[in-house]
Amino acid sequence: MNTNSNVYTIVYTTIIVVIAAAILAIAAMALKPKQDANIKAETISQMLTAAGFSSKEDLAKLGNDKILEMYSQNVKTAFLIDAAGNKIGELETEGDIELQDNLKVENKNIAKGDPQLPVYVFEKDGAEINVIPIYGAGLWGPIWGYIAFNADCTEIMGAYFDHESETPGLGAKIKDEAWFREQFKGEQVNFSNPDNSFDIIKGGAPKDDKSAVDAITGATMTCNGLDAALDTWFKAYMPFLEKKAGAAGSDDSCCGDGCCDDHCGGDGCQDKGQCDHNHNHNHQEG
Amino acid sequence: MNEDLKKTLLNPIFKGNPITVLVLGICSSLAVTVQLKGACVMALSVIIVTGLSSLVVSLLRNSIPNRVRIIVQLVVVAMMVILVDQVLKAYAYAIDKQLSVYIGLIITNCIVMGRIEAFALGNKPIPSLLDGLANGAGYGMILIIVAFFRELLGSGTLFGFRVLPESYVPNNLVILPPMALILLGCIVWVQRSIQKDLQEK
Repeated sequence: MNTNSNVYTIVYTTIIVVIAAAILAIAAMALKPKQDANIKAETISQMLTAAGFSSKEDLAKLGNDKILEMYSQNVKTAFLIDAAGNKIGELETEGDIELQDNLKVENKNIAKGDPQLPVYVFEKDGAEINVIPIYGAGLWGPIWGYIAFNADCTEIMGAYFDHESETPGLGAKIKDEAWFREQFKGEQVNFSNPDNSFDIIKGGAPKDDKSAVDAITGATMTCNGLDAALDTWFKAYMPFLEKKAGAAGSDDSCCGDGCCDDHCGGDGCQDKGQCDHNHNHNHQEG
Repeated sequence: MNEDLKKTLLNPIFKGNPITVLVLGICSSLAVTVQLKGACVMALSVIIVTGLSSLVVSLLRNSIPNRVRIIVQLVVVAMMVILVDQVLKAYAYAIDKQLSVYIGLIITNCIVMGRIEAFALGNKPIPSLLDGLANGAGYGMILIIVAFFRELLGSGTLFGFRVLPESYVPNNLVILPPMALILLGCIVWVQRSIQKDLQEK
Protein backbone atom coordinates (compact mmCIF):
# COMPACT_ATOMS: atom_id res chain seq x y z
CA MET A 1 0.00 0.00 0.00
CA ASN A 2 1.24 3.47 -0.83
CA THR A 3 1.55 5.13 2.56
CA ASN A 4 2.39 8.45 0.96
CA SER A 5 -0.82 9.00 -1.00
CA ASN A 6 -3.05 11.88 0.03
CA VAL A 7 -6.07 9.70 0.72
CA TYR A 8 -4.09 7.35 2.95
CA THR A 9 -2.56 10.26 4.86
CA ILE A 10 -5.91 11.91 5.54
CA VAL A 11 -7.67 8.67 6.50
CA TYR A 12 -4.75 7.61 8.70
CA THR A 13 -4.50 10.88 10.64
CA THR A 14 -8.28 10.98 11.07
CA ILE A 15 -8.34 7.49 12.55
CA ILE A 16 -5.41 8.23 14.88
CA VAL A 17 -6.98 11.44 16.14
CA VAL A 18 -10.37 9.79 16.70
CA ILE A 19 -8.77 6.94 18.64
CA ALA A 20 -6.72 9.33 20.75
CA ALA A 21 -9.76 11.49 21.44
CA ALA A 22 -11.80 8.44 22.45
CA ILE A 23 -9.11 7.23 24.86
CA LEU A 24 -8.81 10.69 26.44
CA ALA A 25 -12.57 11.09 26.74
CA ILE A 26 -12.91 7.73 28.48
CA ALA A 27 -10.03 8.53 30.84
CA ALA A 28 -11.42 11.97 31.64
CA MET A 29 -14.86 10.56 32.39
CA ALA A 30 -13.52 7.72 34.51
CA LEU A 31 -11.29 9.99 36.59
CA LYS A 32 -13.72 12.90 36.92
CA PRO A 33 -15.35 11.88 40.23
CA LYS A 34 -11.96 11.38 41.86
CA GLN A 35 -10.68 14.72 40.54
CA ASP A 36 -13.79 16.54 41.69
CA ALA A 37 -13.37 15.03 45.15
CA ASN A 38 -9.80 16.33 45.22
CA ILE A 39 -10.87 19.81 44.18
CA LYS A 40 -13.60 19.84 46.82
CA ALA A 41 -11.17 18.78 49.54
CA GLU A 42 -8.72 21.41 48.32
CA THR A 43 -11.37 24.12 48.49
CA ILE A 44 -12.42 23.04 51.96
CA SER A 45 -8.85 22.90 53.20
CA GLN A 46 -8.33 26.45 51.93
CA MET A 47 -11.34 27.55 53.96
CA LEU A 48 -10.18 25.67 57.05
CA THR A 49 -6.75 27.26 56.70
CA ALA A 50 -8.25 30.75 56.35
CA ALA A 51 -10.46 30.15 59.39
CA GLY A 52 -7.42 29.06 61.39
CA PHE A 53 -8.39 25.45 62.09
CA SER A 54 -5.24 23.97 60.65
CA SER A 55 -2.54 24.70 58.13
CA LYS A 56 -2.63 23.77 54.47
CA GLU A 57 0.38 21.46 54.88
CA ASP A 58 -1.16 19.55 57.79
CA LEU A 59 -4.44 19.21 55.95
CA ALA A 60 -2.71 17.85 52.86
CA LYS A 61 -1.40 14.97 54.99
CA LEU A 62 -4.87 14.10 56.28
CA GLY A 63 -6.42 12.95 53.03
CA ASN A 64 -9.74 13.89 51.47
CA ASP A 65 -12.09 11.98 53.77
CA LYS A 66 -10.61 13.44 56.95
CA ILE A 67 -10.78 16.94 55.50
CA LEU A 68 -14.48 16.55 54.67
CA GLU A 69 -15.06 15.13 58.14
CA MET A 70 -13.24 18.05 59.75
CA TYR A 71 -15.38 20.44 57.72
CA SER A 72 -18.62 18.78 58.79
CA GLN A 73 -17.53 18.84 62.44
CA ASN A 74 -16.55 22.48 62.52
CA VAL A 75 -18.99 24.12 60.16
CA LYS A 76 -22.17 25.42 61.74
CA THR A 77 -24.11 26.38 58.66
CA ALA A 78 -23.47 27.34 55.08
CA PHE A 79 -25.87 29.37 52.99
CA LEU A 80 -26.26 31.52 49.93
CA ILE A 81 -27.05 35.22 49.99
CA ASP A 82 -28.26 37.56 47.27
CA ALA A 83 -26.97 41.02 46.37
CA ALA A 84 -28.94 42.61 49.23
CA GLY A 85 -27.37 40.26 51.76
CA ASN A 86 -30.53 38.20 52.34
CA LYS A 87 -30.34 34.48 52.77
CA ILE A 88 -31.74 32.70 49.72
CA GLY A 89 -30.69 29.11 50.19
CA GLU A 90 -28.92 26.57 52.33
CA LEU A 91 -25.86 24.51 51.47
CA GLU A 92 -25.60 20.95 52.71
CA THR A 93 -22.77 20.69 55.25
CA GLU A 94 -22.83 17.01 56.10
CA GLY A 95 -22.70 13.85 54.07
CA ASP A 96 -22.83 15.06 50.50
CA ILE A 97 -21.25 18.45 51.18
CA GLU A 98 -22.35 21.25 48.88
CA LEU A 99 -20.07 24.15 48.06
CA GLN A 100 -20.72 27.19 45.93
CA ASP A 101 -17.29 27.05 44.38
CA ASN A 102 -17.92 28.14 40.81
CA LEU A 103 -16.51 31.56 41.64
CA LYS A 104 -15.90 32.47 38.01
CA VAL A 105 -19.63 32.42 37.29
CA GLU A 106 -20.44 34.34 40.47
CA ASN A 107 -17.81 36.93 39.59
CA LYS A 108 -19.74 37.59 36.38
CA ASN A 109 -23.02 37.59 38.30
CA ILE A 110 -21.65 40.22 40.70
CA ALA A 111 -21.01 42.47 37.73
CA LYS A 112 -24.58 41.82 36.56
CA GLY A 113 -25.88 42.53 40.06
CA ASP A 114 -27.49 39.14 40.56
CA PRO A 115 -25.06 36.91 42.44
CA GLN A 116 -25.66 33.92 44.71
CA LEU A 117 -22.83 34.28 47.17
CA PRO A 118 -21.86 31.60 49.66
CA VAL A 119 -21.20 32.22 53.35
CA TYR A 120 -19.66 29.42 55.38
CA VAL A 121 -20.15 29.84 59.11
CA PHE A 122 -17.70 27.86 61.22
CA GLU A 123 -17.66 27.58 64.98
CA LYS A 124 -14.43 27.66 66.92
CA ASP A 125 -14.23 27.82 70.71
CA GLY A 126 -17.86 28.92 70.83
CA ALA A 127 -17.34 31.86 68.50
CA GLU A 128 -18.59 32.09 64.95
CA ILE A 129 -16.24 32.53 62.03
CA ASN A 130 -17.71 33.67 58.73
CA VAL A 131 -15.74 32.58 55.70
CA ILE A 132 -16.35 34.14 52.30
CA PRO A 133 -14.59 33.62 48.97
CA ILE A 134 -13.01 36.21 46.71
CA TYR A 135 -12.13 35.81 43.04
CA GLY A 136 -10.42 37.93 40.43
CA ALA A 137 -7.82 38.17 37.72
CA GLY A 138 -4.12 37.93 38.42
CA LEU A 139 -1.43 38.56 35.86
CA TRP A 140 -1.68 35.27 33.94
CA GLY A 141 -4.86 33.66 35.13
CA PRO A 142 -7.51 33.64 37.82
CA ILE A 143 -6.68 34.17 41.49
CA TRP A 144 -9.02 33.40 44.34
CA GLY A 145 -9.05 32.97 48.07
CA TYR A 146 -11.02 32.69 51.28
CA ILE A 147 -11.32 35.38 53.92
CA ALA A 148 -12.38 34.51 57.46
CA PHE A 149 -14.20 37.14 59.54
CA ASN A 150 -15.02 37.13 63.23
CA ALA A 151 -18.62 36.65 64.41
CA ASP A 152 -19.74 40.23 63.68
CA CYS A 153 -17.63 40.56 60.53
CA THR A 154 -15.76 43.58 61.84
CA GLU A 155 -12.34 41.96 61.86
CA ILE A 156 -10.52 39.60 59.52
CA MET A 157 -9.37 36.43 61.30
CA GLY A 158 -7.35 34.95 58.48
CA ALA A 159 -7.03 34.56 54.75
CA TYR A 160 -5.82 32.07 52.19
CA PHE A 161 -5.09 32.80 48.54
CA ASP A 162 -4.51 30.56 45.56
CA HIS A 163 -3.87 31.09 41.90
CA GLU A 164 -3.85 29.14 38.67
CA SER A 165 -0.72 30.30 36.92
CA GLU A 166 1.00 33.25 38.57
CA THR A 167 4.78 33.45 38.14
CA PRO A 168 6.61 31.17 40.60
CA GLY A 169 8.70 33.24 42.99
CA LEU A 170 6.83 36.47 42.20
CA GLY A 171 3.05 36.50 41.89
CA ALA A 172 2.82 32.97 43.28
CA LYS A 173 3.94 34.40 46.62
CA ILE A 174 0.35 35.38 47.40
CA LYS A 175 -0.06 31.67 48.06
CA ASP A 176 3.43 30.60 49.07
CA GLU A 177 4.45 33.34 51.50
CA ALA A 178 2.84 32.95 54.91
CA TRP A 179 3.73 36.53 55.94
CA PHE A 180 1.52 37.88 53.17
CA ARG A 181 -1.65 36.21 54.36
CA GLU A 182 -0.72 36.70 58.03
CA GLN A 183 -0.94 40.46 57.44
CA PHE A 184 -4.69 40.18 56.93
CA LYS A 185 -5.24 39.08 60.52
CA GLY A 186 -6.79 41.91 62.52
CA GLU A 187 -7.52 44.02 59.46
CA GLN A 188 -10.96 45.46 58.80
CA VAL A 189 -13.14 46.09 55.80
CA ASN A 190 -13.65 49.80 55.37
CA PHE A 191 -17.46 50.02 55.37
CA SER A 192 -17.46 53.75 54.73
CA ASN A 193 -15.83 53.33 51.32
CA PRO A 194 -17.65 50.45 49.59
CA ASP A 195 -15.93 50.93 46.23
CA ASN A 196 -12.46 50.61 47.67
CA SER A 197 -12.91 48.88 50.96
CA PHE A 198 -9.49 47.27 51.15
CA ASP A 199 -6.04 48.15 49.86
CA ILE A 200 -2.86 46.27 49.05
CA ILE A 201 -0.29 49.01 48.97
CA LYS A 202 3.05 48.93 47.21
CA GLY A 203 5.83 50.30 49.33
CA GLY A 204 4.14 49.45 52.60
CA ALA A 205 0.76 50.14 54.14
CA PRO A 206 0.50 52.86 56.82
CA LYS A 207 0.43 51.30 60.29
CA ASP A 208 -2.72 53.13 61.36
CA ASP A 209 -4.68 52.08 58.25
CA LYS A 210 -6.67 49.06 59.37
CA SER A 211 -7.88 48.32 55.84
CA ALA A 212 -4.58 47.98 54.06
CA VAL A 213 -1.69 45.51 53.84
CA ASP A 214 1.72 45.53 52.16
CA ALA A 215 2.04 44.42 48.56
CA ILE A 216 4.67 41.93 47.37
CA THR A 217 7.79 43.22 45.67
CA GLY A 218 7.93 42.14 42.04
CA ALA A 219 4.31 41.08 41.99
CA THR A 220 2.63 44.39 41.25
CA MET A 221 0.14 43.06 38.72
CA THR A 222 -0.88 40.11 40.87
CA CYS A 223 -1.29 42.37 43.91
CA ASN A 224 -3.32 44.89 41.92
CA GLY A 225 -5.51 42.03 40.73
CA LEU A 226 -5.94 40.78 44.28
CA ASP A 227 -6.74 44.31 45.47
CA ALA A 228 -9.42 44.62 42.79
CA ALA A 229 -10.78 41.16 43.63
CA LEU A 230 -11.03 42.06 47.33
CA ASP A 231 -12.76 45.38 46.55
CA THR A 232 -15.25 43.75 44.16
CA TRP A 233 -16.18 40.87 46.42
CA PHE A 234 -16.21 42.88 49.64
CA LYS A 235 -18.56 45.29 47.90
CA ALA A 236 -20.80 42.41 46.85
CA TYR A 237 -20.83 41.11 50.41
CA MET A 238 -21.10 44.59 51.94
CA PRO A 239 -24.84 44.44 52.77
CA PHE A 240 -24.31 41.12 54.52
CA LEU A 241 -21.17 42.25 56.37
CA GLU A 242 -22.83 45.50 57.46
CA LYS A 243 -25.89 43.66 58.71
CA LYS A 244 -23.68 41.36 60.73
CA ALA A 245 -21.67 44.25 62.13
CA GLY A 246 -24.82 46.25 62.83
CA ALA A 247 -26.57 43.33 64.48
CA ALA A 248 -23.62 42.67 66.71
CA GLY A 249 -23.46 46.35 67.63
CA SER A 250 -27.08 46.28 68.67
CA ASP A 251 -26.49 43.09 70.62
CA ASP A 252 -24.00 44.93 72.78
CA SER A 253 -25.59 48.29 73.21
CA CYS A 254 -29.17 48.22 71.97
CA CYS A 255 -30.03 44.73 72.96
CA GLY A 256 -33.32 44.79 74.80
CA ASP A 257 -36.44 46.53 73.55
CA GLY A 258 -36.47 50.13 74.50
CA CYS A 259 -32.89 50.53 75.61
CA CYS A 260 -31.89 51.48 72.14
CA ASP A 261 -32.83 55.12 72.42
CA ASP A 262 -30.73 55.57 75.51
CA HIS A 263 -27.64 54.06 74.05
CA CYS A 264 -27.75 55.24 70.53
CA GLY A 265 -26.23 58.60 71.13
CA GLY A 266 -22.95 57.40 72.54
CA ASP A 267 -22.46 53.76 71.78
CA GLY A 268 -21.36 53.67 68.20
CA CYS A 269 -24.77 53.68 66.52
CA GLN A 270 -24.60 56.48 64.01
CA ASP A 271 -28.21 57.58 64.21
CA LYS A 272 -31.59 56.37 65.18
CA GLY A 273 -32.34 55.18 61.68
CA GLN A 274 -29.43 52.83 61.82
CA CYS A 275 -30.62 51.60 65.17
CA ASP A 276 -34.14 50.93 63.97
CA HIS A 277 -32.74 49.18 61.00
CA ASN A 278 -30.75 46.90 63.26
CA HIS A 279 -33.78 46.26 65.29
CA ASN A 280 -35.87 45.25 62.33
CA HIS A 281 -33.10 43.07 61.15
CA ASN A 282 -32.91 41.31 64.49
CA HIS A 283 -36.58 40.56 64.38
CA GLN A 284 -36.37 39.18 60.90
CA GLU A 285 -33.56 36.89 61.80
CA GLY A 286 -35.45 35.78 64.88
CA MET B 1 20.41 -9.57 20.88
CA ASN B 2 20.42 -9.74 24.66
CA GLU B 3 23.64 -7.75 24.66
CA ASP B 4 21.94 -5.16 22.44
CA LEU B 5 18.97 -4.84 24.77
CA LYS B 6 21.29 -4.37 27.72
CA LYS B 7 23.11 -1.64 25.87
CA THR B 8 19.83 0.03 24.91
CA LEU B 9 18.84 0.00 28.54
CA LEU B 10 22.11 1.13 30.13
CA ASN B 11 23.51 3.57 27.60
CA PRO B 12 21.02 6.41 28.23
CA ILE B 13 21.52 6.20 32.00
CA PHE B 14 25.15 7.27 31.93
CA LYS B 15 27.15 7.23 28.70
CA GLY B 16 24.46 8.76 26.55
CA ASN B 17 22.49 10.56 29.24
CA PRO B 18 19.81 12.74 27.62
CA ILE B 19 20.51 15.75 29.87
CA THR B 20 24.26 15.77 30.37
CA VAL B 21 25.38 14.37 27.01
CA LEU B 22 22.56 15.06 24.54
CA VAL B 23 21.62 18.29 26.43
CA LEU B 24 17.88 17.71 26.01
CA GLY B 25 15.21 18.59 28.56
CA ILE B 26 17.23 21.28 30.33
CA CYS B 27 14.28 23.63 30.74
CA SER B 28 12.12 21.40 32.90
CA SER B 29 15.11 20.14 34.86
CA LEU B 30 15.68 23.71 36.05
CA ALA B 31 12.05 24.25 36.93
CA VAL B 32 10.97 21.18 38.87
CA THR B 33 14.06 20.43 40.95
CA VAL B 34 13.38 22.66 43.96
CA GLN B 35 11.97 19.72 45.90
CA LEU B 36 12.76 16.02 45.72
CA LYS B 37 9.14 14.92 45.82
CA GLY B 38 8.23 16.97 42.76
CA ALA B 39 11.36 15.83 40.95
CA CYS B 40 10.54 12.16 41.62
CA VAL B 41 6.98 12.50 40.32
CA MET B 42 8.24 14.41 37.29
CA ALA B 43 10.87 11.72 36.66
CA LEU B 44 8.26 8.98 36.90
CA SER B 45 5.91 10.88 34.58
CA VAL B 46 8.60 11.37 31.96
CA ILE B 47 9.65 7.70 32.18
CA ILE B 48 6.06 6.63 31.56
CA VAL B 49 5.54 9.11 28.72
CA THR B 50 8.80 8.33 26.90
CA GLY B 51 8.37 4.59 27.33
CA LEU B 52 4.77 4.35 26.21
CA SER B 53 5.06 6.87 23.36
CA SER B 54 8.09 5.05 21.99
CA LEU B 55 6.21 1.76 22.22
CA VAL B 56 3.10 3.07 20.46
CA VAL B 57 5.02 4.88 17.73
CA SER B 58 7.16 1.79 17.18
CA LEU B 59 4.02 -0.33 16.77
CA LEU B 60 2.71 2.17 14.21
CA ARG B 61 6.07 2.79 12.54
CA ASN B 62 5.40 0.87 9.32
CA SER B 63 2.02 2.45 8.74
CA ILE B 64 2.76 6.10 9.58
CA PRO B 65 2.73 8.26 6.41
CA ASN B 66 6.19 9.79 6.24
CA ARG B 67 4.95 13.29 5.44
CA VAL B 68 2.90 13.66 8.61
CA ARG B 69 4.97 11.50 10.94
CA ILE B 70 5.86 14.37 13.31
CA ILE B 71 2.19 15.25 13.71
CA VAL B 72 1.23 11.65 14.36
CA GLN B 73 4.03 11.37 16.93
CA LEU B 74 2.84 14.57 18.58
CA VAL B 75 -0.69 13.21 18.84
CA VAL B 76 0.61 10.07 20.55
CA VAL B 77 2.89 12.01 22.93
CA ALA B 78 0.23 14.59 23.75
CA MET B 79 -2.26 11.84 24.51
CA MET B 80 0.16 10.16 26.91
CA VAL B 81 0.95 13.43 28.65
CA ILE B 82 -2.71 14.32 29.13
CA LEU B 83 -3.36 10.81 30.47
CA VAL B 84 -0.52 11.20 32.99
CA ASP B 85 -1.81 14.64 33.97
CA GLN B 86 -5.35 13.35 34.46
CA VAL B 87 -4.16 10.42 36.57
CA LEU B 88 -2.02 12.74 38.72
CA LYS B 89 -4.98 15.10 39.17
CA ALA B 90 -7.02 12.17 40.41
CA TYR B 91 -4.45 10.43 42.59
CA ALA B 92 -1.74 12.97 43.49
CA TYR B 93 -3.53 16.30 43.39
CA ALA B 94 -1.11 18.22 45.63
CA ILE B 95 1.90 17.21 43.56
CA ASP B 96 0.06 17.94 40.33
CA LYS B 97 -0.61 21.45 41.60
CA GLN B 98 3.03 21.86 42.53
CA LEU B 99 4.27 20.70 39.13
CA SER B 100 1.54 22.81 37.50
CA VAL B 101 2.37 23.59 33.89
CA TYR B 102 5.47 21.42 33.71
CA ILE B 103 3.52 18.18 33.38
CA GLY B 104 1.81 19.59 30.31
CA LEU B 105 5.16 20.75 29.02
CA ILE B 106 6.49 17.18 28.88
CA ILE B 107 4.99 17.33 25.37
CA THR B 108 7.67 19.82 24.42
CA ASN B 109 10.43 17.91 26.20
CA CYS B 110 12.93 17.21 23.45
CA ILE B 111 13.81 13.83 24.92
CA VAL B 112 10.42 12.37 24.03
CA MET B 113 10.32 13.47 20.39
CA GLY B 114 14.05 13.00 20.03
CA ARG B 115 13.97 9.34 21.03
CA ILE B 116 10.91 8.65 18.90
CA GLU B 117 12.55 10.16 15.82
CA ALA B 118 15.95 8.63 16.45
CA PHE B 119 14.99 5.22 17.77
CA ALA B 120 11.36 4.17 17.85
CA LEU B 121 10.72 4.87 14.14
CA GLY B 122 13.38 2.37 13.12
CA ASN B 123 13.22 -0.32 15.79
CA LYS B 124 10.94 -3.08 17.03
CA PRO B 125 8.47 -2.34 19.85
CA ILE B 126 10.28 -4.03 22.75
CA PRO B 127 13.67 -2.33 22.22
CA SER B 128 11.81 0.95 21.63
CA LEU B 129 9.93 0.60 24.91
CA LEU B 130 13.19 -0.09 26.75
CA ASP B 131 14.93 2.81 25.02
CA GLY B 132 12.11 5.15 26.03
CA LEU B 133 12.07 3.94 29.61
CA ALA B 134 15.86 4.14 29.89
CA ASN B 135 16.01 7.66 28.51
CA GLY B 136 13.29 8.73 30.89
CA ALA B 137 15.26 7.12 33.70
CA GLY B 138 18.46 8.88 32.65
CA TYR B 139 16.58 12.19 32.68
CA GLY B 140 14.97 11.36 36.02
CA MET B 141 18.28 10.41 37.60
CA ILE B 142 19.80 13.83 36.86
CA LEU B 143 16.60 15.49 38.04
CA ILE B 144 16.77 13.67 41.36
CA ILE B 145 20.48 14.42 41.85
CA VAL B 146 19.93 18.13 41.23
CA ALA B 147 16.79 18.18 43.40
CA PHE B 148 18.68 16.43 46.21
CA PHE B 149 21.24 19.23 46.46
CA ARG B 150 18.72 22.00 45.90
CA GLU B 151 16.31 20.83 48.57
CA LEU B 152 19.12 20.00 51.01
CA LEU B 153 20.91 23.33 50.67
CA GLY B 154 17.92 25.48 49.80
CA SER B 155 15.47 24.32 52.46
CA GLY B 156 17.55 22.08 54.73
CA THR B 157 15.07 19.24 54.14
CA LEU B 158 14.80 16.04 52.10
CA PHE B 159 11.34 14.87 50.95
CA GLY B 160 10.01 17.56 53.28
CA PHE B 161 11.73 16.12 56.37
CA ARG B 162 14.24 18.32 58.15
CA VAL B 163 17.76 16.95 57.74
CA LEU B 164 20.00 19.89 58.51
CA PRO B 165 19.68 21.46 62.00
CA GLU B 166 17.39 24.45 62.52
CA SER B 167 20.46 26.66 62.88
CA TYR B 168 21.23 26.14 59.17
CA VAL B 169 20.33 29.26 57.23
CA PRO B 170 18.75 28.15 53.92
CA ASN B 171 20.64 29.33 50.88
CA ASN B 172 18.05 31.15 48.82
CA LEU B 173 20.26 31.20 45.74
CA VAL B 174 19.95 27.42 45.51
CA ILE B 175 16.16 27.75 45.28
CA LEU B 176 16.46 29.94 42.19
CA PRO B 177 16.77 28.37 38.71
CA PRO B 178 20.31 29.69 37.95
CA MET B 179 21.74 27.47 40.66
CA ALA B 180 20.15 24.44 39.01
CA LEU B 181 22.02 25.34 35.83
CA ILE B 182 25.29 25.63 37.78
CA LEU B 183 24.63 22.26 39.45
CA LEU B 184 23.91 20.72 36.04
CA GLY B 185 27.19 22.16 34.82
CA CYS B 186 28.99 20.51 37.73
CA ILE B 187 27.39 17.16 36.88
CA VAL B 188 28.48 17.50 33.24
CA TRP B 189 31.98 18.37 34.47
CA VAL B 190 32.14 15.27 36.70
CA GLN B 191 30.86 13.05 33.91
CA ARG B 192 33.31 14.40 31.35
CA SER B 193 36.25 13.98 33.67
CA ILE B 194 35.30 10.32 34.12
CA GLN B 195 34.33 9.71 30.51
CA LYS B 196 37.34 11.06 28.60
CA ASP B 197 35.90 10.39 25.10
CA LEU B 198 33.30 13.12 25.64
CA GLN B 199 35.94 15.82 25.97
CA GLU B 200 36.35 18.06 22.95
CA LYS B 201 39.86 18.65 21.68
